[in-house]
Amino acid sequence: MRARPLLGAFGAALLLSAGCGIPASSDVRVDGRAGTATEAGSSNGRSSEPPTRNASGSDNAAFVRNFLSAAAGEPDRAYERVKAFIAPEHKSRLQDKKGSEVALTVVRLRETVFTFNSDSTTTVKITVQQIGVLRTNGTLAPPVATETQYEFRLRSAALGGTGSDERAGQYLLDPPNVLLLSDVALQQYYQDESIYFWNSDRTRLVPDQRYLPYAVPDERRVNEVVRWLVGGPSDWLRPGVVGLPDGTELINNATGANNRWEVNLDMSGDDQSRVDQVITQLAWSLGDLPGELELKIRNNSQPVQDLDERRAAYQLYPVRESPQRYGVYEGAIRPLDFAGEPSGVVPLTPEVNRAIVSAGLARGVNRVLAALVVTSGRDRQRLAVGAGADTVAAVGRSAGEYASIGRPVWLRTADSRPAQGLVVADGRLYRFDEAARMSEVPLNLPSSEVTAVASALDGQRIALIAGGRLYVAALNLDGSGSGVSIGPPRALVTSLTNLTAVDWIGEDRLVVAGSAGQPAIYEISVDGALETPLRTDVGAKVNHLTAYPTNRSVRVPTGSYMYEANKVAYRSSPFERIEPERVRDVPAPPAGVRPSNPSAPFFLY
Amino acid sequence: MLSGRVARLLARAHQTWRRSLQVRVVTITLVASSLLVGGFAYLIADKITTILLDNARTDVQLRLKGGAGYAAKQVSLYGQPQEAQLQETIEGTVNYLAGGDPQQTSGVVVAITAADYPTMIQTRTAPAANVQPLISKELRAAVASGKVASQIQTGRLTGEPTKYLVYGSPVPTRFGQIELYYLVPLTRQDATAADARATVVGTGIVLVILLGLLAALVTRLVVNPVRVAARTAQRLSAGLLDQRMVVNGEDDLALLAASFNQMATNLQRQILRLEEMSRLQRRFTSDVSHELRTPLTTVRMAADLIFAERDEFEPAVARSAELLQAELDRFEELLTDLLEISRFDAGFAMLDAEPTDLVPVVHRVVDRLAGLAERAGVEIELDLPSTPVIAEVDPRRVERVLRNLVGNAVEHGEARPVLITLGIDETAVAITVRDHGVGLKVGEEKLVFNRFWRADPSRARQTGGTGLGLSISLEDARLHGGWLEAWGAPGQGAQFRLTLPARAGDRLTTSPLRLVPADAALPFGGPRDGGPLAIGPGSGPALAIGPASTDSGEREEVRS
Repeated sequence: MRARPLLGAFGAALLLSAGCGIPASSDVRVDGRAGTATEAGSSNGRSSEPPTRNASGSDNAAFVRNFLSAAAGEPDRAYERVKAFIAPEHKSRLQDKKGSEVALTVVRLRETVFTFNSDSTTTVKITVQQIGVLRTNGTLAPPVATETQYEFRLRSAALGGTGSDERAGQYLLDPPNVLLLSDVALQQYYQDESIYFWNSDRTRLVPDQRYLPYAVPDERRVNEVVRWLVGGPSDWLRPGVVGLPDGTELINNATGANNRWEVNLDMSGDDQSRVDQVITQLAWSLGDLPGELELKIRNNSQPVQDLDERRAAYQLYPVRESPQRYGVYEGAIRPLDFAGEPSGVVPLTPEVNRAIVSAGLARGVNRVLAALVVTSGRDRQRLAVGAGADTVAAVGRSAGEYASIGRPVWLRTADSRPAQGLVVADGRLYRFDEAARMSEVPLNLPSSEVTAVASALDGQRIALIAGGRLYVAALNLDGSGSGVSIGPPRALVTSLTNLTAVDWIGEDRLVVAGSAGQPAIYEISVDGALETPLRTDVGAKVNHLTAYPTNRSVRVPTGSYMYEANKVAYRSSPFERIEPERVRDVPAPPAGVRPSNPSAPFFLY
Repeated sequence: MLSGRVARLLARAHQTWRRSLQVRVVTITLVASSLLVGGFAYLIADKITTILLDNARTDVQLRLKGGAGYAAKQVSLYGQPQEAQLQETIEGTVNYLAGGDPQQTSGVVVAITAADYPTMIQTRTAPAANVQPLISKELRAAVASGKVASQIQTGRLTGEPTKYLVYGSPVPTRFGQIELYYLVPLTRQDATAADARATVVGTGIVLVILLGLLAALVTRLVVNPVRVAARTAQRLSAGLLDQRMVVNGEDDLALLAASFNQMATNLQRQILRLEEMSRLQRRFTSDVSHELRTPLTTVRMAADLIFAERDEFEPAVARSAELLQAELDRFEELLTDLLEISRFDAGFAMLDAEPTDLVPVVHRVVDRLAGLAERAGVEIELDLPSTPVIAEVDPRRVERVLRNLVGNAVEHGEARPVLITLGIDETAVAITVRDHGVGLKVGEEKLVFNRFWRADPSRARQTGGTGLGLSISLEDARLHGGWLEAWGAPGQGAQFRLTLPARAGDRLTTSPLRLVPADAALPFGGPRDGGPLAIGPGSGPALAIGPASTDSGEREEVRS
C-alpha cells in the first residue's frame, strides 16, 4: 500500500532530474554588440610598394629598373610581386621558396645592354656587382652568388607580342632563378635600422644593421624588431655579441597602440638583470620610438618601462661631450679651433707632447688615454702609450721600432678595465695596452698586408683595410683586458678600389678612402650595401682619415671627418682645408716664414 | 486474468483506504509532502544550475573579452586577409588564448573563424578539434553580425560527448572581421549540478519518508486509543458493562479514555439501577399475584358455598352471589394473566414445541367459544385446508393465542361473521382472524398489543377481558419466533394474523397469508375492480398513488 506514494515521490524525483540541470542545447543568447572596430591602420606617406609591371609602359630601362625593385617589400609575397613581371609561360622558371628561405640577391647595377631581336623581343644583359643576400630577418649577408651578369629578354605584353602598347607594358622572358634587388631599390624601399645586442660580457650594446621594408606598417615595426632580436645577431657579429637566451621565442606578435607596446617573450631563465637587459636592448633597438613598453616573460608582466626614460638611463656610449679637434703641428699635438665648436686643451704634458707623428686619444672612464706614434731615430717610429686623469704626464714606449706605424685606435670600454688598442705597424695588426706592450693579432685574411684599422664607438667592432679591401670584424675582448681576439672578418663589397684609410662615421657607417678612378672618399654602410660618395675630387691618396661617429648619445649635426692627403689636412662640413691659423697655442710664425701645415688631425671624445 | 488481479488489488486498496485512517493520513501526508518537497527541490536545483551557469558565463565572458582584445591587437598588424603571417598569427593567438600549451587538457577550446574570408583564412582551433558542429548556424550568424553571443551545445570534441558553453565574439581587424569562439566544457558545472540535484532529491526523499513515518506514528498514537475505545464500546454494547479503557497520562486521549470510562460507569450504573427497578417491579407483580391467590382461594371457597346456596337466599342476595361469583372468575383470570405476564417478564417462559396439527387446534378454540359467539350472535366461519397443517409449535400457547384473538373478534364483531383462515407454505404457517366490527383507527394496530389498552376507555367492559390477552399473545408469538400483527380500518373491522415458523427456531421471512384482507377498501377508495394502480410523481418528494386512468395507452404492469 505504501508503494503508491513512494512511486509518486520517485516520479517527482525523476521529473526533477529531467526537469532542471544544464540543458543539452540552448538558444543563442546575445549579449550585445562587441566593442568598436580598431582604428584603420596608419600608412606612412612614402610609396612603400615598388611599381608594378606595367608602370613602366614600354620603357625598357624603366622596366628593368622596376624589375630589380620588384622584390622589395614584405618577403612572403616577394615571389608573387616578381612573378607579376614574368611572362606567364615563363613563370615556372622562377622557383618559389617559402618562409625564411626567401632571400633577395642584392646587386649593384653596373651596366645594362639592350639588344633588339628579330622576334620583337629585347635581350637584356645586366652587369652587376654582387653585394649580398637580403634575408627575411633583415640582414644583408655576404653574397653567395658569383654571377656578374644576368641575361633575360623582354617582350611586349600586348596581344601577339607585336606592337608596343603603353598600357599593356612588357613581360620578362627567361628570368634568372633568383630574386634580384638593386641597391637603389634597397635604399628606396627599405629603412635601415640598428638593433642592438649585448657584447659577450654584457657590458655594452653593439649595433646590428637590419633592413625593414617601408611596406611594413608602423604597427608591425616593433614586432619585426623583436623578431630580429629573437633571431639573433648577424653572422659576422656573433663572435663579439650574445643573442637572447637559447630557445627564446616571441609569443605571438608584439602589439601596441597609443604609445604602449606589449612584447610577450618565452624566455628561459628568470634572472631579473637579464630581463632588465632585454628591456634596455629593446628600448635602444626600437629607435627613437616613444611610449611605454610592457615586457612579459611567459605572460608574467614586468614593470612597464618608458622607452625614453630607459634610453636616458642607459647610455649607449660613454661619450659625454662633443668631440674636440686636434692636429699634429710641428711634432706636437695642438687643438684646432673652429668657430662654434668646443676646443679643449692638449691633455698631454709638454714633455710627452713632442716628436709626435700621429696620435689616437680617447676619453675613458674619468681619464684620458693617449696612444702616440713618435719618431724614434731616423725613419723609425715607436708607439708611446700613456693614461692620466686629465693630463697624460708619462708614456711608456713600445719595445720595438717600426718603419711605419699607422694611427693607433683605442678599443673603448664602458668600464675601468685596463684599456687596449689596435694599431697597424709595418702592415701588421698589433694590439697594444696601456704599457705600450705590443702583440701581433693574427688575422685570417687572404692578404696579410694590413693598411688601416678603425674601431667602432662600441669597441666591439673594427674595420680593417687589408690588401686594398675593406673588412669588418667583431672583437672579443678578453675579460681581463689582457687580450683581444678578432672574429672572422667579413669582406665588404665597394665600388672603390685601392682602399687606403677607414674610420667609423656612424654606428653602422664607415668612411673609406680609396680610388674610384681617382682618389675618393665614400661613406659605406657596415654591410657594404649602401655607398655614398662623400668626396670624389680628393686629388691625392688619403693616408690619414678620421671621423667622429654620429651616435645617439651625443649628437652632432652631421658626420664629420677629417683627412690628410698629400700632407694637407682637410675637414668636412663645411669642407675646407685646415689652415695653420686654426692651430691654437702656437706663436705666429715669423714673417716670411711659411707656416707648416697641421697634419694627422683627430677627434678627442 | 491480469485485469481481474488488478481489479482485486484495486478493490483491496479501496477497502484499506476506507477502513484505515492511518493509511489515509500517511498517504495524504506523503503525497502532499512529496509535492511540496519536490517543488522546493526543483526550485533549489534550478537555482543552483542557474548560478553555476551564470558563473561559467561570467567567467567565459571575461576570458572572451580579454581574448577578443588580445586577438584584435594581434591581428591589427595585418591589413590584408591573405597575408601569410596572418594565418600564423591566428594560430599563435588561439594557442596563446587556449593557454599556450596545446597539450594541456583544461578542455577549453579556442577557435578563430573568418566567416567573411572562408577561403583566405582557415579556421584555427587550439587544441586542434573540429568545432564546426558545435558552432550552430544561428550563433555564427549572430556573431558574424557583430554581436557577442553564446549558446550551449552538446558535442563530441575529444572522446565523450560533452556539453559546451560556446561563446563567440567578433574581433575587429583592419580588413574586416573575424570571430573568436571559446568552447568551454560544462563538465564540472554539470557534475556539480547533478551532485546538488542528487543531494536535494535524496534529502527530499528522506524528508518525505520521515514525514510519512511521522504521520504514521502520530496517527498511530491517535488511532490506537480510538480503536481501543471503539472495541471497548463494542464490548459495552455487547453487554460487557465492566469493560474499561486504560488511561495513560494526562493528554487529550487520556481525557477521552477517562470520559469514556466515566460514561461507561454511568451507563452501567443506570442500567443496573433500571434493571433492578424492573426486577423489583416484576417481583412485586409476581409477589402480589401470589399473595392475592391465597386469600382469593379462601374467598373463592366461601363464594362457591354461597353461590351453591343462592337459591335459598332472597333474590337480591342471590343476585349478589352470582355477581360475586362472576367477578371472582374475572379476578382469577386477571391473576392468571398477571402471573403469565410476570413469567414472561422474568424470562421464565419456556417454549414446549412439538409437531402439532393446527386444524384441530382451531376447531377446539371455535368449539370452546361457540357459546360466547352464540350469545353475541356472531357466526364463526372457518377457512381451513383439507389437509393437516403440521408445525413445530407449543399447542397450549397457540391455542391461548387463538382463543384470545377469536374471543376479541367475537367480542368486537358486532354480530357480524368472524372468519378464521389457516394458511401454510414451506417455511411458515399463518392464521388470520377477521372481524367486521368497528375496526381500528390509524395507529392503533400497535397499541392494541399494549397492556391494559382499550380502544375506548369509557366503554363499559361487557365481556370479562383482562386487557392483558393480546400482550400475552404477542409474547407467545415472539417466544415461537413468530409474528403477531394487527390490521384494522374504521368501519371495516380488523384482522389479526399470527405467523409462526414451520420449524421451531427458523427465521421468518414471509407469511403465507396477507395481513390486509382482500375485501378491505384502500384508504383512497382503491382502484376499480381489475383496474391498474398508477404510481407516479406526486407533489413534493412524495409519490402519488392512485387508480390509473383507463384511457391511458401507456402503462406498465408489474406482475409478481
